[in-house]
This record gives sequence, structure tokens and C-alpha cells, in this order.
Amino acid sequence: MYNKLTREIVNELIEIVGSSNVIFDNIEALEAYSHDEVAEKSYAHMPEAVVKPSSAEQISKIMRLANKYKIPVTPRGAGSGLSGGAVPVYGGIVMSFEKMNKILEIDKENLVIVVEPGVVTNEINNVVKEYGLFYAGYPMSVETCYIGGNVAENAGGGRAVKYGVTGRYVLGLEVVTPTGEILHLGGKRMKDVTGYDLIHLMVGSEGTLGIFTKIYLKLMPLPQAKVDLLVLFKDIDTAIKIVPKIMTFGRIIPTSIEFMDDLSFKTSCRYLNEKIPFEEAGAMLLIELDGNSKKELEEQYEVIGNLCMENGAIEVYIADNATTSERIWKIRRNIAEAWKQYSPDQSLEDVVVPISEIPKFMEKVREISQKYDVPIPCYGHAGDGNIHATPVRNPKFTMEEWQNILHNKLLPELYRVVIDLGGTISGEHGIGHKRREYMPMAIEPAQIEVMRAIKKALDPNCILNPGKII
Amino acid sequence: MKIVVPIKQVPETSNVKMDPKTGTMVREGVESIINPLDLYAIEEAIRLKEKSGGQVIVISMGPEKALEAIKEAIAMGCDDGVLLSDKKFAGSDTWATSCVLAHAIKKIGDFDLVICGERATDGDTGQVGPGIASFLDLPLSTFTSEIISIDEGKIQVRRLVEGGYEELELKLPAVLTVVKEISDPRLPTLRGKLRAKGVEIPVWGPQDIGVDEENIGLKGSPTRVVKIFTPKVTREGEMITVNDEKSLEEAVDKIMEFLIKKELI
Repeated sequence: MYNKLTREIVNELIEIVGSSNVIFDNIEALEAYSHDEVAEKSYAHMPEAVVKPSSAEQISKIMRLANKYKIPVTPRGAGSGLSGGAVPVYGGIVMSFEKMNKILEIDKENLVIVVEPGVVTNEINNVVKEYGLFYAGYPMSVETCYIGGNVAENAGGGRAVKYGVTGRYVLGLEVVTPTGEILHLGGKRMKDVTGYDLIHLMVGSEGTLGIFTKIYLKLMPLPQAKVDLLVLFKDIDTAIKIVPKIMTFGRIIPTSIEFMDDLSFKTSCRYLNEKIPFEEAGAMLLIELDGNSKKELEEQYEVIGNLCMENGAIEVYIADNATTSERIWKIRRNIAEAWKQYSPDQSLEDVVVPISEIPKFMEKVREISQKYDVPIPCYGHAGDGNIHATPVRNPKFTMEEWQNILHNKLLPELYRVVIDLGGTISGEHGIGHKRREYMPMAIEPAQIEVMRAIKKALDPNCILNPGKII
Repeated sequence: MKIVVPIKQVPETSNVKMDPKTGTMVREGVESIINPLDLYAIEEAIRLKEKSGGQVIVISMGPEKALEAIKEAIAMGCDDGVLLSDKKFAGSDTWATSCVLAHAIKKIGDFDLVICGERATDGDTGQVGPGIASFLDLPLSTFTSEIISIDEGKIQVRRLVEGGYEELELKLPAVLTVVKEISDPRLPTLRGKLRAKGVEIPVWGPQDIGVDEENIGLKGSPTRVVKIFTPKVTREGEMITVNDEKSLEEAVDKIMEFLIKKELI
């Protein structure tokens, strides 16, 4: 149904963006654009060409061209995604935004920043810091990912408990539609109910409904202080029960409440040669608070810390400076890396369940883990029920056996558990083509039909990022 | 056993920026922390106390802000603290600093051990520990990696020296500077933090410790920072251009010759 790229079409692309911004016929250079951060090679797919546009007009022309010749186009940010969103499943053109990396405007009066999609997310915070502002979107890959990818995936991350996810901060978008129209949605407006909310149709559309060329983001006052609590519990149940109490009894909304099961933190602590008495613990919570003064946070960590101690915590550690805070966060950040020593073949899942169901979910995960003899360390954002259950290949299985177990048995069973508990299969990584086959488990047929109708209305030739989500 | 641990509050230097014009560190917005190498001294002191009882007193010379560092050490498990803070102390070099700390330690009195970190991560001199020993005229073990035993007024230690270890026996009281190998610093707990909050930290000036004002501050410092500069690294590179097979072989010979001459292979 799609055509192959020919030399003639490539020449037309070169006419639009210039020869230095087109990669063609260079397997080595193209390979870099064939995958994202999903570890399994089977999800990768080679593009036929890569184009690096620098304006909405160029992108519009490329889309018209692609529609004319029926060539699929896959937009790509920094390639740090975890669902295959940027992988060109049907080949064709990968559109990379590495050239569109300018910060267009910092509006201090309206607390808005306007950026191009190829800006590295952390860069935004670096530039607005001096005005006492910050951008609250915070995926874990903040130092490498592009803001365009964050918006496309509606990225979550560690601060979502207090600050929500990316979509909350998107006030406006300049979008090139799959057929090449340029739309100007929203802007520097805090309120806007004029017509359908097309901005939030685009946010999280995983590059299937439109290409962002300008992004308006809401900024917030930069908190002046932060403090972290590392709390050791004897078991998962005790740890999770404290989460709602922090908000109801403590009346505090932490920036993040990260959860680690014993498989996760023990592997990580051993890997880091950490000497806190972690062996006796069965679960850990890492709670981060931010605010305007150390004094204010001192009161808050006392409330939360005492609450934890009264409710069965083994120990509460307080980190209110760079040395100790780094030491605590290292445990959380090194889990995946530490497990790589066991096996690099991991399926990083991001299922969501209602917070109160986490202990039940963990019980079921243990059963699945035992049944298939596959370790499944679980960690993630307890504050919003988003758990990175990560099946890791037991080295006794060959790659083929592992693929079979994972895709045909383990993941479907894991997803079934999640859905039965009132959760869903992806909270922040997205569906892409990695989880596409499982969509019917999570979403009713009528909903999928609505999504298909939307896709068809915007992209009649199915040119933009085909093979994803639905 | 009474142990005194002198510590220093230093700027957090993992993300430090340098001012290209002055060659000095940009201190604005930089957080202050306990000198990371002092954490090992604190930990070892707490462990000794836990094993054989006694008291650990942490002292620091610096601005009022250094109270934070003292409180953090107490949260880790030290018992008491003293802050040495006065305008007249400002500008002290390692000699004057050692002099002030030695006077303060003398005032605390009746101590068995002084345990210091190897050096501070900002000044990087490693002189203050030995300086204190010299002002107090006490035996000293630098780069201590293990305390083997303490009894009957004597301490046996192992110290890290070039190419191996050395074991020493010192008469108490003594001064030790310790290396990372000696311990793993603990994290402050909530209980520790709450206890530290209640501990009253006295602030001492020159009069309190009876130190001669001629010997402290900028006036009492024999060293002066005259100029700060970044040493220039010069690299002498030679480009060898390869055009064809023949010049490739010549190039390889040339590189081999160079590596052999420099004793790199």
C-alpha cells in the first residue's frame, strides 16, 4: 500500500530541505534512526531516508509530497522513547527534529516559554532558572529527550504526583497535519474553551495525528528548596498504605513518591555497594518534597517521617543536601542498570493501577514471576500508581524462548492483571507498536473505532507514523 | 572516650562553574555541604563511640551557615558541636586555621582522639589535620585506613602509604587523618535530625578560646593568594597525512617509532 522511495523523490526532498539535511543510501547513518530505547532488536526498522527540516513550511511541503507518492513519514525526537513511537515500521521517511532546537521566546509576564520541538527538555529549565522559573514536566530521561517527544508521548515521570504530566503544561501548539495543513492551536492563554480541545488531542498522539513545530509551555515559580526521605518498610503492604495517609493526614502533596520492591533496591544497593541496612527491608519509598524554604520543608518531613515511623517503617533517612540526596536517588536511578548485570534483555513496562491496588498487583506479579521463572523487579511512581514492572530474561532461556514467553504468555497475563484491578497497560511510555497488539485488552472496541475515525479524518492516506497505537 | 572531629563546610562542587575571567569559582547558587572526606572521620568517630562509649564533639570554623554542617554531623550521631565564628577568623590560611582549631580543642579539653578528614575538597591542601597535631604537640597518623585497636592509652592504626600499608602505634591523645577506606558514612535518620534540632551549639570567638589575635585571620596567615590561574595544558601534536599505501606504511613506522621512544609500548 506504500510506495518505495526513489532517487527522484529524494531529489525533491533535497530541494525542500537541502542536501545536507537528507540521509539516503547510507546504511550506517540510517541505522541510528531505526530504533529507540526499547532494548529488543526485533522492534527496530530501517528508514529509507531521514530528513531534518527546520520550519513548518518545509514540513508542510514534505507532507504534501509524502501524500502524493504514498510514502510513510515517522517523526522522531531524541529517540529515547520506550514504546517504539519513533520507529519507522513501514520504512519510508524518518523526520528528525534535531535542527529545530531553538528557544523562541521566554515571556516572563505571562510565564510562558515558546520552543521548537527539538529542544532538550532539561535545557528549558537551564534557561528559565535565572528568571526564578521552571518547567515542571520531568521525564526520567530529561537530560537527553526532546520536548517534542515529551508532548507527543504526554510524558510523565517522577514529579507527576504534585505537578502532573506534560499535557498540563502545553498551552499551545503549531501543528502540521498529516496532509500538510499548518494549524495554530491555543497560545498564551490560560483558559480556552473555544471549540474542541485539539491541543490535547495532539498531546499524547504519539506522532500519529500531527507534527509539532512550535510548543507553548506554561512555567511555574522555581521552588527554592527540596528534601528527600528514604523510608524502609518491612513489606510492600505497609509501604503502600502510607501513600494516601501522607496526603490525607499529613496534608502534604510531595513532588514524588517513588516505590521500590526488594528485588529492585537490593540489586541496586548491592551494585552501588550501598551500606545502609537494606537487607532487612522488603520495600522502600523515596519521597521528595519541594518548597520555598528549608524551614517549611523541615516541618513537612517531620510530619511525613513521624507518620511513617508510627505506621511500621523500619527507618526514615532524611536527605536535605546534595551529598545525601544524590546518594538516595542513585538507588532508584540505578535499578535498570544494576539488573543489566543479570541480563540486558528487559521489558520496561509502565502499567498503572489504582494506588490502593499496588499490593494486590505485586502479589500477582510474584505469582507470574514464579510461574515463568522470570524475575520481575517492580519500581516506579507509587504516588500515581504507575509501576515499572520489568520482566528480565532469565539467562537460562534462549532469546527465542524468552520472546515467546514474554509476548505470548507473560505480558498478556500481566496486562490482564492490571486491567482487572482497574488499571491500564501504559501510563507514560505510550503504545507505539510495542504494545499495539494488546490495545484491545485495554480499550473497548467502540473507543478504538472513535480513534480510527479521528485518525482517518486527519490522515486519510495513513501517511503519518503508520502501524502505531491502533 | 572523648573524640573531637573538626569539619569544614565546602561548596558542592559536582556541578561547579568557573569564572573564566577571574579563574575563581562561581559561588552564587552553589549549595554548601560537609566536606565529603570529613564524613569518613565523622563515621569512624561515631563507630568508636558506639563500640566503647564516650562522646563525639564536632567543631567547625566558618560563617554562621556552617551551623548546618554541624547539625548534619549531629544528625548522623555526633553528640555535641561547637561553631568557631567571628569576623576576626576570616581569611585564615591553613596555619591560622590549625591554630584556631587547636585552641578550641584545648578548650574542650580532656580528649583522647582528634579525627580529621584527609583534606577539604575546596582547598585541597591536607595541612590542617597535621597542623592541629603540631600546635597541640600530639602524635599524628595521616592517611589512616583502619583503627586496629585502642587500649591502655595507646592506639594501633594502619595507614595507607605509597605501595602498601604501614602500621603504627601512637600514644593517646593523638590526631588521625583518615582516608575513605576507613568506613562507610551513614545517612542521617529522622531521629537524628530531630535530636540535632534540640542540641544547643555554642559559638566561640577568639576570646573564648584564648587565641592571640595576631595569629588568626588574614593578619595571622603567612600565606597569601596572590594570583589564581588555570594551568595551561600544552599539547604538541604532529599530523601525519596519509595519501596512499606507501605513505600509510611510513606513517605507521613513524607512529611506532614515537611510541617506542616515549616508552609507551
